[in-house]
Amino acid sequence: MGVIYIGDRETGKTSLAMELANPNSHYVKVTHPDYENLKVMLYDDAEGRTKATDASQALYDRALEIQVELPTGKKEILLEWLDTPGEIWRTRWQQADENQPEWQKFLGSIVDSEGILLVVPPYREIISGANREDYITQQQWCNRFERWVKFFRQDCPKVRHLVLCLNKADLFCDVNKEASRLEYSPNRSPMTWQKRNAYVMQRYFRPIQTQIEHLNKNISGLAIRCFITSIHNRKLLELPWIYLGSFLAD
Amino acid sequence: MGNICVIGPRASGKTTYLAALAYKRMTIGKSKQFNIIPLNDDSREIAEKAENIICQGESFEPTRVESVDTLPDYSFKIAVKKFPRIKEESFQLVFKDYPGEVFEKIAESDAGDAIQEEFIEECFRKDVEGCLILFSDWIKGTDNHYNRIINRFLELMDSHDRAKDLRLAVAMSKCERGELWSGRLDPETDLFNRHLPMTTATLREKVTPKNIRFYAISTFGVLRRNDPRPNRIDEQGKSGQASVLREIPRWQPYNIIAPLYWLNKG
Ligand SMILES: Nc1nc2c(ncn2[C@@H]2O[C@H](COP(=O)(O)OP(=O)(O)OP(=O)(O)O)[C@@H](O)[C@H]2O)c(=O)[nH]1
Ligand SMILES: Nc1nc2c(ncn2[C@@H]2O[C@H](COP(=O)(O)OP(=O)(O)OP(=O)(O)O)[C@@H](O)[C@H]2O)c(=O)[nH]1
Ligand SMILES: [Mg+2]
Ligand SMILES: [Mg+2]
Repeated sequence: MGVIYIGDRETGKTSLAMELANPNSHYVKVTHPDYENLKVMLYDDAEGRTKATDASQALYDRALEIQVELPTGKKEILLEWLDTPGEIWRTRWQQADENQPEWQKFLGSIVDSEGILLVVPPYREIISGANREDYITQQQWCNRFERWVKFFRQDCPKVRHLVLCLNKADLFCDVNKEASRLEYSPNRSPMTWQKRNAYVMQRYFRPIQTQIEHLNKNISGLAIRCFITSIHNRKLLELPWIYLGSFLAD
Repeated sequence: MGNICVIGPRASGKTTYLAALAYKRMTIGKSKQFNIIPLNDDSREIAEKAENIICQGESFEPTRVESVDTLPDYSFKIAVKKFPRIKEESFQLVFKDYPGEVFEKIAESDAGDAIQEEFIEECFRKDVEGCLILFSDWIKGTDNHYNRIINRFLELMDSHDRAKDLRLAVAMSKCERGELWSGRLDPETDLFNRHLPMTTATLREKVTPKNIRFYAISTFGVLRRNDPRPNRIDEQGKSGQASVLREIPRWQPYNIIAPLYWLNKG
């Protein structure tokens, strides 16, 4: 059983997984591997950021043990956590013959995955403040999503859980406010999953709403859920995992 | 102890139905007429899933097609007290929840699929008392599709020597839907004949009348007795195939015990 992180370069796949292991947790606790060990592997102290995931390999496979606190109590989940480099989505990488075996390996793993976390960046128009120019425009963002839709339809006909994470939420909203609105608590959440999804979809995924519905219609048995995430907000960071945990816990 | 197979096309609500039985604290608990006691780990586990998934506004994943051996057995004791002061009756049932995908495949010609075989053998074993068949759809073309499946199903039932002694409770599920709710009182005429005429005709013609009954059920139910708005929200883009509960504290399934009572007691 595995959960795979995919997305373009620099969207935050490695950071999201690494930060999930941060010991300062609420309802999702990574019991193995240890945060400090992960940091040694994935973080560049001199640069003060995660290292770019090396595209000589299309897949980095690690065992992950997490504990999720569901309404009925704590559940342990053993998983494969599959990190992938964003580089593999670039045409140049995909066209190189020497990458074909890695690409095939990647396709093999994605069909077997229980859940896919697609990490997408914010688009220029919703970013408030700093370096907006570093981000793609809404139009580019929609076009890119269309390519994702094609990929899922072609290569993932059996996927059951597709979790869309619009990451770096700290750049486009008041994360504390949104986190308390969407908050999960095992006893009494103010919102159900249905309401959270409807809210996030309506507010942040509007430009691709019809594409999402289309994909939903085309893959039977697929559930697509929208989240906003940020490594700077623990509650938002945990939500996709509580959602997945409800299904994966056995 | 009665063995019951719950079958039907994909997304017809089989797993959710069993979860509602298991999670009776929320669903049937309010009724003094029935009591349901989960008897094994599988049934306690699905009760937890009801709490973690359905009661959090989510819906179940399609049941996986693995092998018959890995399918859970849900075992319950059901107690029915029809009138106050009359001794309650109780019976035990063991359910197998079949993946709709397997059921839909029985009409396809390429026989010989091992999993398929296994499921069919399991379904027609001599110690199976009855089948609960759930249908939920009637959009154009489905009657034809279902009719083919049912024809094949009845052939197999016959070749496994169960034509005379296997009971079939055929239910239209998700009946809280506006178009169906008013037909719930006479489901055979107002739901089955009307929406699935060919399938219904086949069932009537080929099954001994005492071995078949038609039901209307809804696992989600309506908001209140005098407020028949459906207690559900449809998921966008899923054409009514996927829905979640709307007001969780008002969860009250409709008619989910009746078919079981009949399957067991006749
Ligand atoms: N502001 C902000 N920055 C983030 C967030 N998540 C990740 N980043 C930054 O985004 C950059 C890229 O993060 P990575 O996790 O390395 O991205 P990746 O998707 O793994 O990238 P590749 O491995 O190259 O595909 C880093 O500088 C992170 O610090 C976030 O939630 N908010
Ligand atoms: N409207 C409505 N929807 C329901 C009801 N019961 C279940 N559903 C929804 O129908 C969808 C399918 O339910 P499941 O219980 O997974 O269906 P299934 O028959 O087990 O499906 P397979 O395992 O694929 O064969 C889910 O989205 C449920 O939430 C109901 O009573 N009313
Ligand atoms: Mg990375
Ligand atoms: Mg099912």
